[in-house]
Amino acid sequence: MSENLPGIQETRELLKKKKVVIAGVGETEQGKIPDKSSFHFLSEASKLAIEDAGIKKDDVDGLVTAFSLVEHTFMHCTTFADYFGMNPRFFSSVAVGGATAVWMVAEAAMAIASGQSEVVLCVRGDNTLSGISSSGMLALIREMCHAEFEFPYGLTTPGGYALAAQRYLHDWNARREHLAAVAVTMRKHAADKENAMNKDPLSIEDVLDSRVIAEPLTKYDCSIISDGGAAFIVTTEDKAKELGITNDLAYLWGMGQGYSHQYLTTLENLDQIYNAVERSGDKAFNTAGIEPKDVDIAFLYDCFTITVLLELEGLGFVPKGEGGAFALEGRMEIGKDLPVNTHGGLLSQAHLGAMHHVVEATLQLRGDAGCRQVEDPEVAVVHGNGGIVSAHSTVVLGNQPLN
Amino acid sequence: MSEQKKEYNKPLPEFRPETKPFWEAAKEHRLVIPRSRETGEFFFYPRALSPGGDMSEDIEWVESEGRGKVWTFSIHHMGPSKAYKGEPPYVVALIEMEEGVKMMSNVVDVDPGEVSIGMDVQVVFDDVTDEVTLPKFKPAG
Repeated sequence: MSENLPGIQETRELLKKKKVVIAGVGETEQGKIPDKSSFHFLSEASKLAIEDAGIKKDDVDGLVTAFSLVEHTFMHCTTFADYFGMNPRFFSSVAVGGATAVWMVAEAAMAIASGQSEVVLCVRGDNTLSGISSSGMLALIREMCHAEFEFPYGLTTPGGYALAAQRYLHDWNARREHLAAVAVTMRKHAADKENAMNKDPLSIEDVLDSRVIAEPLTKYDCSIISDGGAAFIVTTEDKAKELGITNDLAYLWGMGQGYSHQYLTTLENLDQIYNAVERSGDKAFNTAGIEPKDVDIAFLYDCFTITVLLELEGLGFVPKGEGGAFALEGRMEIGKDLPVNTHGGLLSQAHLGAMHHVVEATLQLRGDAGCRQVEDPEVAVVHGNGGIVSAHSTVVLGNQPLN
Repeated sequence: MSEQKKEYNKPLPEFRPETKPFWEAAKEHRLVIPRSRETGEFFFYPRALSPGGDMSEDIEWVESEGRGKVWTFSIHHMGPSKAYKGEPPYVVALIEMEEGVKMMSNVVDVDPGEVSIGMDVQVVFDDVTDEVTLPKFKPAG
């Protein structure tokens, strides 16, 4: 880990002084819910997070949203402010694909640190499963690759990740079982998550024998598509006290981004991806003053099984090339070395970017994760990736103020 | 590869002003790769300015022998839309060209099961419509 990154000390001092926290979380039902619109989910999730914090809607003075894959809007944040009926002093739409939810935490923290806002509602919701048309789905696949130099060759979104996975298997002499093990662990965790979509037990053989989508990835190497919403409230410890919030708080200890490429065409090698993951992690970890071994629980973006291995290794939890063995030995399970995605992740719970990853990290740090609760976690890491493992964001959260 | 033209419903590239020379050459069954005259560095995909530190607009199109190696590939068992019905399995691959750049393409004229990382490939041209020719690759030799 490099010690000389710019801004580390300043950010650390700022976070120590401001004590930015996640003070409330909310998740709607997840699944196939055809009678609710994207903005319905956004509103419902917002209400749940506000109620979880025990504050009033009027206490919220900042808004961070993302985008909808179904209802395209030019100004998503203010479109939602109008729909929900609020008048925020600060508003922003974050749109970095799967890196979005994690970066919403940072976006809110930066707004708070610069005096733009005191209580920021971060929310995503979408009826992707029920609402997206076949032309909308095709437009999404097109956007996930280069429209002119990649899309005409029939590249799909799973196919893009399959290209990364194939190279990973080649470079590290790894096997499909190593990828499959990630899906198996996520399914095991989803069994105890109330609103998870897929809870039936899954074996390595089930994954390997399921329908091949894009070699080497099968159906169960791919995340699910779902309808639903999730939200969280970002504020400061002082403001939380002033508002009478009684939840235990999840404190923001550090944040960072890393960029690798947008299109696979411009990817030089796997190291380019590892370096981007590491850069986002380095900044977050160094600001927090921690090392990977200090992390009790990790929430890693699992849109496809391959991403979890690249992130485990890029963030320094395991040496490069050893993520697969780590997964296969069950060391990502609750009670083992490093519990990963205790809610079942995008592979088995639901897909709303990393919103549920942030919510679950908060619940775990609060000790509110019910039968999924990891024993006394103090430090959590949440990592998101957007594009085809292109754009990365990491936050470190703690159950105590940063000191 | 110029079989009887049927209606082509799969996605076609939308040419941009700065990429037009690439597609015009492809139509003539020539593969050209852009290079900055200032640094002599190849880049791909084509841009109006060199993506290097030179940010040069002085770009030349260099004719390629069309040789490369499969850097990674995925046998697709599902296409992106109904237009691909009956096509899978087909091979989407990133080809590392001798010029050092990578190109996304298809590996054709081969049993998909025989494609491997490191395989030597050679460009072929697929005239998919009267206006558009897609450079693809087949095993070399």
